[in-house]
Amino acid sequence: MAVRSLGTAVVRFAGLLRREGLPVTVLQVTDAVRALDHLDLADRGEVYLGLRAVLVSRPEDVPAFDQCFATFWRLVADEEGGLPGLLAPPGPSAEDGTAAGGGEKREALGLDAWGGEDESGTEEPLGVPGVSDREALMGQDFSTFTADQLDDVFRLTVQIARRLARRISRRRRPVRRRGRVDLRRTLRANLTRGDLIDLRYRQRKRRKVRLVLLCDVSGSMDLYSRFLLQFLFALQSVFGRVETFTFSTRLTRVTEHLKQRSYRQVLRRLTEVRDWSGGTRIGESLAQFNREWPSLVDRRTIVIVLSDGWDTGEPEVLASELMRIKRRAGRVMWLNPLLGNPSYEPLTRGMAAALPLVDHFEAAHNLAALRSLAGKLTL
Amino acid sequence: MRDEIRKIQELMEDAQYVTDAPVATSVHLALTLAKPLLIEGHAGVGKTEVAKVMARVLGTNLIRLQCYEGLDAAAALYEWNYQKQLLHIKLSEQSRQSVGEAEHEIFSEPFLLRRPLLQAISQERAPVLLVDEVDRSDEEFEAFMLEIFAEWQVTIPEIGTVKAAHPPHVILTSNRTRELSDALRRRCLYLWIDYPDFDKEVRIVERKVPGVNHRLAGEIARFMEALRRMRLAKVPGVAETLDWAQALASLHADHLDEALVAETLGCVLKDSDDMKRFRAEVNKTGLTPFLSVSS
Repeated sequence: MAVRSLGTAVVRFAGLLRREGLPVTVLQVTDAVRALDHLDLADRGEVYLGLRAVLVSRPEDVPAFDQCFATFWRLVADEEGGLPGLLAPPGPSAEDGTAAGGGEKREALGLDAWGGEDESGTEEPLGVPGVSDREALMGQDFSTFTADQLDDVFRLTVQIARRLARRISRRRRPVRRRGRVDLRRTLRANLTRGDLIDLRYRQRKRRKVRLVLLCDVSGSMDLYSRFLLQFLFALQSVFGRVETFTFSTRLTRVTEHLKQRSYRQVLRRLTEVRDWSGGTRIGESLAQFNREWPSLVDRRTIVIVLSDGWDTGEPEVLASELMRIKRRAGRVMWLNPLLGNPSYEPLTRGMAAALPLVDHFEAAHNLAALRSLAGKLTL
Repeated sequence: MRDEIRKIQELMEDAQYVTDAPVATSVHLALTLAKPLLIEGHAGVGKTEVAKVMARVLGTNLIRLQCYEGLDAAAALYEWNYQKQLLHIKLSEQSRQSVGEAEHEIFSEPFLLRRPLLQAISQERAPVLLVDEVDRSDEEFEAFMLEIFAEWQVTIPEIGTVKAAHPPHVILTSNRTRELSDALRRRCLYLWIDYPDFDKEVRIVERKVPGVNHRLAGEIARFMEALRRMRLAKVPGVAETLDWAQALASLHADHLDEALVAETLGCVLKDSDDMKRFRAEVNKTGLTPFLSVSS
């Protein structure tokens, strides 16, 4: 009896975890039940560690798991008998109560599920009102579109990127050298001959270029960041990997979020993540990147920074951190949408400090600029 | 606490590995549920060590598969010894064997090179299979491993199917240079190893480096704690702590002073910018902030 009730408790616990965004599979649930057999149920710490080992699979999920564990498994006095260390919340009799309680708990946990359910109602309008002239669109600065045009321009961005991706991946380079002799296949091919006449070769697998994007989402940069992200993600089949970070006063890794949820929703969220106080700290953000994710950058990586260069921090920090990146990266690009304005000169202290260290300085302020950018993303 | 878990903790401590409840619990569950254990953490916190100690405790072989970019099934599973095959063909040219016979002969056990995965499934006793730095391998290889983990059998067309009598205990380690696939994560138990806290680091130093007295071990641990709080490019791990303690022991040091730290700093800091920052800091404040308990 105890086993059965414990089993259902674990199932319901898994349900709670899922509601809080942890991707718990059925296999993990059965493992959790099996694991409890091998744990001391009177030892709450041990049960916590055991369930965590089974049900959590990445460190980011630990805080959410901790809170769920604390709310779900309550301590109960030893005299009660049964399960001395653990007690699940009231059983299925309170089923309707749990539904409401679940909502409450969710609020109490204060976890922001990244848009658990998609807004399914929002069908995209199919017509392209007022923006039918593509050529004119190509040259228009993103910031000059009206809010209702933006969706269409987003879609156009993706279309262009997909077409570019197909073209790039179809392009083959002729093999210059013959590579190493592939003994395995050579031998197979010459089995009946007794001598090796027909040599087979193999070549090192070519590694795709990787991208690291560091996008300024403060103030006016946010809009450009969204276009760039949209564009590069539609292009991503061309790259080995795309790692994305946003920054204003500090850096946030958003790669995983972009992969998982409804993409448009996440892009909208980027604006909300933004921290309004204190201006942009580009140097500090790059320093954080270097400190926490040093291994993302190697010779096959292009690092792209999108920012207007308005840094409220010290330009020396920006310069030294950018130098650190440059030493390891294949190429460093700086995209500054202000460059699209013919009268712009990169005179801000941050921009002036960064410029000598940058391999390419581009505008990326309209579709035509994004398209030409795609041509430069090779090593 | 379960007796088994306490036992594991004791055994691991006996095998010179300073452990704690999360590690012992994870190892215990990995053994009883027969599931792979994925260990993540910063460089140099002793992820690989868990597998080594496990093998020692269980008294079985440790088979190590070091991952790298471009690692493929052939290098991980088996290959034919082509050079040997070629020689054999040459030597037996006069023997008037038929093609079929010759083929049968050179594609047999003596010509087979067993790579780590095949070794792991053809052991008498269940070994510990350490898949080190999985994050360095490609995604295709990850998928291939999942396949192996599911069946623990391999079919070699020329020889037949090899099935593990005792599936190995699998430990995977990752430095998180790349996000591993969800499929792999969900099939594994998960353990995150962080930098040790002060007490654990003192215990580690005392256990591993006999020449260090209690006072020096404490100073070393405090110092490392302070260093890890500095925003360094290469944060030193436990491996660095031990190198340093070893160096200090061989210098017969019994406490830290500025000159000694300056001489041996290379054991701990491996980046010139970090060194510069540290020196600037010490010039400004002296060594005291590095040796005092912080809030």
